[in-house]
Amino acid sequence: MDWPTGQEVNRQPRALLSVLLIGVVAFFGWRWWDSTRPDQDGGAEIVFNEVATRGGTLTSSLRSEPKTFNRIVDRNVPVELYSIMTGSKLVRFNRATQEVEPALAEKWSVSPDNLTYTLNLREGVTWSDGTPFTSADVLFSFQAIYDPRVESLLASSLKINGKPLVVTAPDPRTVVVTLPGTFGPGIALLDNVYLAAKHKYEAALKAGTFVQAMAVATPPADLVSLGPFKLTTYAPGQRLVFDRNPRYWKKDEAGVQLPYLDQVIYEIVPDQNAELVRLQSGQFDVLQQQIRPEDIATLRPLEQQGKLKLIELGVGADPDSFFFNLNSSYWAKDPRRDWITRKEFRHAISHAIDREAFANSVFLGAGVPIWGPLTPGNQKWFSPNLPRYGYSLDRAREILAGLGLVNRDQDEWLEDSKGTEAQFNIIAYRGNSSVERGAAIIRDELKKLGIRVDVVLLEQGALIQRMVKGDFESINFVFTQSNLDPAMNSDFWLSSGSAHVWNMGQAKPATDWEKQIDDLMVTVMNSVDQAERKKTFDQIQKVFADQLPVLYFVAPRLYMGVSSRVGGLTPSILRPQLLWNVERMTVKGAG
Amino acid sequence: MGRYLLRRLGFAVLLVFVVSSAALLLTRIAPGDFAAMQGVGLSSDEREHLRERLGLNRSLPEQYVSWLGGIARFDFGQSLLYSRPVSALIGERAVNTAVLATFALLLATFVGIPLGIYTGTQTGPMRSLVRAISLVGISVPPLVGSLALVFLAARTGWFPVGGMTSSTGMDLSWTHWLADLARHIPLPALALAIPMAATLERLQSEAIESASRERFVAASRARGIARVRSILRHAWPVSLRPVLGLYGVMIGSLFSGSFVVEVVTSWPGLGRLMFDALKARDLFLVAGCAATGAFFLAAGTLLADLLLAYTDPRVKSGEHA
Amino acid sequence: MIRRAGIFLAALTLFALVAPWLAPYEAGEAFRGFLHAPPMRPHLDGLSPVVHPLVLADRLEQRFEPDRSRTVRLPWVQHEDDAPVFLLGADDFGRDVLSRLLYGARTSIGLALVATLGAVLIGALAGAWAGYRGGWVDDAIMRVADFVLVLPVIYVVLVLRAVLPLVLPASTVFIIVVWIFVAVGWPFVAKGVRAIVAVERNREYVQAAQSLGAGPLRILTMHLIPACAGHLLVQATLLLPAFILAEATLSYIGLGFPDPVASWGTMLAGAGNYNAVARFPWTLTPAVAIFAIVLLTNLLTSRPTRNQA
Repeated sequence: MDWPTGQEVNRQPRALLSVLLIGVVAFFGWRWWDSTRPDQDGGAEIVFNEVATRGGTLTSSLRSEPKTFNRIVDRNVPVELYSIMTGSKLVRFNRATQEVEPALAEKWSVSPDNLTYTLNLREGVTWSDGTPFTSADVLFSFQAIYDPRVESLLASSLKINGKPLVVTAPDPRTVVVTLPGTFGPGIALLDNVYLAAKHKYEAALKAGTFVQAMAVATPPADLVSLGPFKLTTYAPGQRLVFDRNPRYWKKDEAGVQLPYLDQVIYEIVPDQNAELVRLQSGQFDVLQQQIRPEDIATLRPLEQQGKLKLIELGVGADPDSFFFNLNSSYWAKDPRRDWITRKEFRHAISHAIDREAFANSVFLGAGVPIWGPLTPGNQKWFSPNLPRYGYSLDRAREILAGLGLVNRDQDEWLEDSKGTEAQFNIIAYRGNSSVERGAAIIRDELKKLGIRVDVVLLEQGALIQRMVKGDFESINFVFTQSNLDPAMNSDFWLSSGSAHVWNMGQAKPATDWEKQIDDLMVTVMNSVDQAERKKTFDQIQKVFADQLPVLYFVAPRLYMGVSSRVGGLTPSILRPQLLWNVERMTVKGAG
Repeated sequence: MGRYLLRRLGFAVLLVFVVSSAALLLTRIAPGDFAAMQGVGLSSDEREHLRERLGLNRSLPEQYVSWLGGIARFDFGQSLLYSRPVSALIGERAVNTAVLATFALLLATFVGIPLGIYTGTQTGPMRSLVRAISLVGISVPPLVGSLALVFLAARTGWFPVGGMTSSTGMDLSWTHWLADLARHIPLPALALAIPMAATLERLQSEAIESASRERFVAASRARGIARVRSILRHAWPVSLRPVLGLYGVMIGSLFSGSFVVEVVTSWPGLGRLMFDALKARDLFLVAGCAATGAFFLAAGTLLADLLLAYTDPRVKSGEHA
Repeated sequence: MIRRAGIFLAALTLFALVAPWLAPYEAGEAFRGFLHAPPMRPHLDGLSPVVHPLVLADRLEQRFEPDRSRTVRLPWVQHEDDAPVFLLGADDFGRDVLSRLLYGARTSIGLALVATLGAVLIGALAGAWAGYRGGWVDDAIMRVADFVLVLPVIYVVLVLRAVLPLVLPASTVFIIVVWIFVAVGWPFVAKGVRAIVAVERNREYVQAAQSLGAGPLRILTMHLIPACAGHLLVQATLLLPAFILAEATLSYIGLGFPDPVASWGTMLAGAGNYNAVARFPWTLTPAVAIFAIVLLTNLLTSRPTRNQA
């Protein structure tokens, strides 16, 4: 029972007052809220061409943290980025033109037997701390790479026929490199040489602690740079900040010293979705690598508003690969061995995949059909005149029948002459949508033929373990190459190679055609006649297309999203697609 | 009271120890280790070298003992995944989770409790409306809530979608950073707070309803104290007992909920860190996360119990209900 | 309320069993040309409901438009290969969301039911044993139960699942997840049962049974646990949505069922990032389904409101 008291009588006006108060607070709160929103720029112009305006800050992203800054010791994405920002090489592989150009070596000459390269180093180049850069640094870097205590991953890529290069430095501006055997790519081999400062790390190399040099805990002031930028801040878990290196040796055609940018910031964002969101909102100007096909539609409205530019980089060089285990000892006791390792089986599968539908489903149409390991993106080496396996289920069935695989009972699956069902499993890895989707499509398409396929998803590490051990039936994977010259990827082509994925590390070639490729590769690797190399490699591609140890279906088209305030872009299909030439990038506005 | 506190403290220490040891041991015996997970593209030799360098090839007892020794010196070891000390990593992330959890808890309290008092003491159509909303609120678990809120934010742009900060965070002034945080925190905090607020409202409503029927409340009314005042001053403190008891239980579900919310909204907190550490088999980081989680859990429940003991006049006077 | 709980559980079980038969398409049936197709609204053409089939407008943007020149009947009546009918839209593989929702109901609810059964059984046995024997057995079991109850559920489930091989085949995942849920769910049941049994054991019928020579196991299984039947039913009703939610969370973070198994969690995981969710919101329907079940459970278990004087 409510007893009336004085407080209740005054309830009405009090209620009105509180409503008014709430209204006022809400209004000002909304105003403050709106003001803290990031500024929406009015349509900025699209800056795409060369604009030699100096200054400004570029913000990009990194998905993982560096474990060290020592590129000789480690080779993942963050440390590679660090070396792009703060390093220079003797010669540079221009990722856009796919040609080698002079860098720290301004010119070089080759001996008539093509075994000795004499490089003349540029004059007046200094490290960021003022110490002159000389041939002694080059010599030192080679010593570090070949030092067994360092266990550098670069060592094997700088050996020819298993033997190291012999490097001498007759004077501070000359380096003489003697190859143990002729090498097709020639001077491009030196793209694998990452330089370390002798005056800083000689003591560490002598003491055997070179591996710990340039660790992430090193204060940035102690790190020296030879490249366009130097590291000023590393906030673990947050960002890397690079500032212009005022002692960078390179100038542009007009004599303006590079880089154009004052500062580049890499925010560490492990999540790909969060990265994209920041690109959309304008906090990031450019990303490390290409966007996914499904993200193109998300960015299109921003392109129409003029805030972003969607750049088509062209056809990528790394297609998804589908391959069987062709090691006969794996199948020795398996009843399917009569047909599963036969090349006709793989021909049938190649006929059975509708590559256009594959491109549509896996890449939303942003892909081109391919039939071999090289894509049109590899302009120098791609051979368009290879036999192609057109989409024809009938042809596929014919070939399978030729192997004895026919439907012999009531179910939908084929059986061989012994009654064994036509089935196998594909291992793919979680986390890469094109690999997962591709495997699912192979499964669904082969179902139409009557072959039962099971897709097994593993973690990437587990899959690689199985691949290396040779413990798999078939795998769907995507390999990233760092170099387009086949001689630099000999591990894949040679039967003894560690990346010869369908049958790794053979003591001697298991089949005739692999021996044939091995022999042809000798020319590709050792000949210095580029025309001869290309012709020979075309032959290799033909053998490959006939035997099909690895099947390829679609090569993706690569797209990148870039803020419209960024200019001076030199797109490439090789990673990092835009940042590889960050010294030429410019931004409008101070950033 | 002192003995009770001591007992609870002992329980807390035991909890932290057992939970972190269990986490460490479980991760150790799990198939695959860090070198296998990370060794993409490494040959088996290189992987062995990596194992040796990181100390992963020691036996289980050896690793456990060395970890314990480190704990005694407050050294939680080195994270394999991030190449940084575990304590530094956890320090950052735990703060983020604590901020989110505290904010959500406060939000839930300041919405749920008053509403509960209202519905427990008033009648009318508003009451049924609030009760209905409460029912819906309880039925929106953090997974569903965070997904729905992410959808809302992505569609309307009212809130930034995901993450904790948008700015490039460089030398920002305090006010800017706070404003940025204030933009990012509502989404995950709401996802956490909605079911909590609804639960609090229901419980508070029930509790105060039954408390206001007690004789001492009627007695205070008889003394001429206004209805509102009598409820707030006499009925409510008593009704707090079950409510504060709920806080102790809610801490656990707050943790669970915050993990889900952190994953959906990419909030850089402890839950996410532990998940990544588990996947990568980063032993010491997992153990460190588990220890920190258990610590917060124990601290939270202890705090709730203390608060309960403090506010309930019956407990204060030594009487037990 | 006990009766309501029982009916609810029975109805849910029936639904879980029957649901896939209601599905117009198979769970894994993918229409390659219809990735992320939007839901199609049926309208009446005379007396029969029909739909306008969709046509691709822009492949990269995954945009579709209705082809108003044609109509197709509902998929239960008629299947057109080139004109699938997606009443709730299609997911990122071009699979019908409605069908996957129904198949997913069986997977998710089925797993939760089995886990609930297990947790109830083990919890009842443990709790009854503790309540019956008392003494150190009671103490020990209740200490363990208390300890498990204090820990945050999702973290325990996460750790237990994550220390197993990260990617497993669907059948193995089912078994493992059921066991993990039983391990975290039994204390919840055990505490309540113990409390009831501790009281009931002093009743006359129990003493009568003891004097007739019945062993403890018989007394437990024939008298005491059945005495808790009502309570157990209510506990089961509370555990079920919690397990559905836990499975959804596990699958969402990738530790649950693998693709292409249809479960509500894997469907949510497939919904993708913020942008995908904003453009294709129908992929979030499993969240609505989960919400519906939790809401129903809460409606059933809420105590009737008391009116104020």
